[in-house]
Amino acid sequence: MFELVTPLFLSLIVGGTLVGIIFGAIPGMTATMAVAICLPITYSLGLENGLALLLGLYVGGISGGLVPAILLGIPGTPSSITTTFDGYPMSKKGEGEKALRIGICASLVGGLISLLILFLFAPTLADFAIKFSYVEKFLIIFFALTVMAALSSDMLIGIFSGILGIFVSLIGTYDISKGGNGELRLVPEGTEYWLEGGFSLLPVLIGLFGLAAILEQAEIGMPKGHGIKDIKVGKKSTFSIGIFKGQLINLLRSSGIGTFVGILPGVGGSAASILAYSNAKTFSRNPERFGEGEPAGIMASEAGNNGLTGGALVPLLSLGIPGDSTTALLIGAFTLQGIQVGPLFIGNNPDTWNAMIFAMLVANLAMFAMMYVAIRYFALVVTIPKHILFPVILMMCVIGAYTINYGIMFDVWTLLIFGLFGWLATKLRLEVAPFIIGFILGPSAEVYFVKSLESFGDVTIFFTKSWIAVVLWVLIAASIAGSIILSKKHGEATDT
Amino acid sequence: MKLTRRTILAAASLAAFIAQPMMSAAQELPRNVRLVIGSTSTGGDTYQNSAIVAEALADHLGINIKVDAVGASEAFKALKRDSRGTTLMIFHDQSYLGHLYGRRGYEDPFANYAIGPTVAINPGNAYLVPANSPHESMEDILKAAEAGERVRVAIQPGGVSEIGFSAMKNAARVRAPGSEENIVAVNTGSQSDKNQAMWDNLADVINGSIQANEQFTQLGDGDAKGMKFVWITARDATLQQAPAEGMGNTTRDQLLKFASPATSVTLDGEQDFTFDKEFFFLFNPDMDPAIIDQIDTALAEIFEKGDIQKRQKGSFFIPNFLPSKEAKAHLEAKRDTYRNVIAEISGSK
Repeated sequence: MFELVTPLFLSLIVGGTLVGIIFGAIPGMTATMAVAICLPITYSLGLENGLALLLGLYVGGISGGLVPAILLGIPGTPSSITTTFDGYPMSKKGEGEKALRIGICASLVGGLISLLILFLFAPTLADFAIKFSYVEKFLIIFFALTVMAALSSDMLIGIFSGILGIFVSLIGTYDISKGGNGELRLVPEGTEYWLEGGFSLLPVLIGLFGLAAILEQAEIGMPKGHGIKDIKVGKKSTFSIGIFKGQLINLLRSSGIGTFVGILPGVGGSAASILAYSNAKTFSRNPERFGEGEPAGIMASEAGNNGLTGGALVPLLSLGIPGDSTTALLIGAFTLQGIQVGPLFIGNNPDTWNAMIFAMLVANLAMFAMMYVAIRYFALVVTIPKHILFPVILMMCVIGAYTINYGIMFDVWTLLIFGLFGWLATKLRLEVAPFIIGFILGPSAEVYFVKSLESFGDVTIFFTKSWIAVVLWVLIAASIAGSIILSKKHGEATDT
Repeated sequence: MKLTRRTILAAASLAAFIAQPMMSAAQELPRNVRLVIGSTSTGGDTYQNSAIVAEALADHLGINIKVDAVGASEAFKALKRDSRGTTLMIFHDQSYLGHLYGRRGYEDPFANYAIGPTVAINPGNAYLVPANSPHESMEDILKAAEAGERVRVAIQPGGVSEIGFSAMKNAARVRAPGSEENIVAVNTGSQSDKNQAMWDNLADVINGSIQANEQFTQLGDGDAKGMKFVWITARDATLQQAPAEGMGNTTRDQLLKFASPATSVTLDGEQDFTFDKEFFFLFNPDMDPAIIDQIDTALAEIFEKGDIQKRQKGSFFIPNFLPSKEAKAHLEAKRDTYRNVIAEISGSK
């Protein structure tokens, strides 16, 4: 294997990681986009070097999303939504640099734990993953959806917002490629031309989090002479490793959840950080602090989404089935080189397998080193005057929306529509976080629910299918009970 | 800025200078071309094929071609908007099968678009059963249907994945009318879903591909994930052009045992049904025919050189260049055959 570790191999990992971080850090650009753009280059690089580049992009892209999530409240990637919940409040309190350091450390832990799990247990975990049928996958999505209640300041409004998000996510065609019937639903007459594909996730996301914030600021206006000099980058509270004291279980659990969700094809990367965050809140001694700038929330979210990186490679390399949208592109790199991926891949290609593990290790370490060193410079973003910063963000959001599906103008309209919706939502007391979680998880929930009923006949199957289903119901019940208790506590605190 | 007569004259001259090459190149492909494809995946066979062809064409003509994986519906929309030759499309048989199966977003491509040259075939379309299945072949499956056994086939409805299923039903109808009712579809989505349907015992047969499923056929019946091929839909003549070493641990000769004539799924009692997944260009119907000629000529020269064939074969594609006119006639004949199959099993004929 060591003959594969050439200066070019190492440079490609580090370079890929850097480019990935940049893609992840720009709202509207994603790890998937970075991998898609660089995929054709890999043909001339050869398999191992090509994979070094793509894996660097993957790790960097997933990790870079925390930067705008924390500093601007705009998730750089869909999987960093939950990072905004506590990262941005910390940033507003002048603890942006500290939040970034927490996120980067948690990302490293999540990435390394998932890599270890990938290296040691990939084929065994793939055998376990195939025990998850439509029923179990629906229950996992349902479990993730229960976080909507926990994230809301008013449970009823939160649940309503979440259900509205699910409803909006179902507008369009019931996609045949996901097992649907190809028919339109929830599309008003006369809008079929634009809405047949529904609303794309990324434009909705950056509209709700990016554009809405800009509109809100535009409404408030900027006092004369205003910069953001009042925001101290990191003076108020400095980072120390001691902040992780008592968080070992949170980090391990979140990394494990991220890895596990990655292992299950079709569940979706965003569910990893949502589930990790939800569990961290449920099991926290101070759940009421979540959403207000709680470091444990950032740890859970970032360990969860970086845990995904190793997990998503398990089904790819053990079954030939990608675990998420980015690893789906990695299959292209293998096929471009004429290499089959499937259950025999690891045994047939030990050198490539070892090179991939090594590349992932280096990418995680490079990500940590580069981001940790660059934090001070990243954090300076908040000192840029808003009248300069916001137009730049707006331009990046529009470019990101236009390019996400390779040049579809309706995605830009989607960005604008949901920017406006996000701005109006706060006035209507709707909650954006549960809305977006409902929007992300809605399509999977629909497909797995309908397919479960189509395949097994009636609703009792959700309770009787397997012991895994029973365990998931216990977790769902615990999450709902936790949310109710928390809501009551919150209500009592408000009353007093 | 003050607008003097000199400024206006200079601007007009500049505009005329810029417009001149554009006008003189009006009957050629523009310098920057967008090649949209009918798939949203940049890891799939449509993207790979298109990327290979786009690169070769761009090099040969000295232009830029960008492949955009926008999906069928958006690709057709983009193609319809642009008759200048700036937007071209590559897709496969799904483009007319989608229409034959009545899928939303699929118009008749022969009536609404110009059919361009074919470039390659993916010979991998296959059907598989679990490794421990009592069915060893298509003959077993069709006999089981004749004996009244329900055979569940996991497919993605409305196109390439379904046409083999339709052919199975048609063969059952030809052999023993009424037995086709025992072959039923299990509608799934991606390949992952089809595999999972088999592992969950929701399907007895799944649609798959040589490339994606070959390794599962090497696992043996002791492994719950094990599968075995029962049918490869490609023509014998197509598979014969695949590399002799085949795919993975399955040689070309072994693959040929699952394709016609060794494995027979009858079309009409005399001929076997076959299906090659062919990739071809689609153009805006109002695009200048000179551009189509230019693409035909360029591809003929590229295939004459022979380099592109090596790349295609390296990715398990079969090179298959037919200029536009021949391609159209060939694809129309294919379409007619499949239209009959679909009509026969739906009782509309």
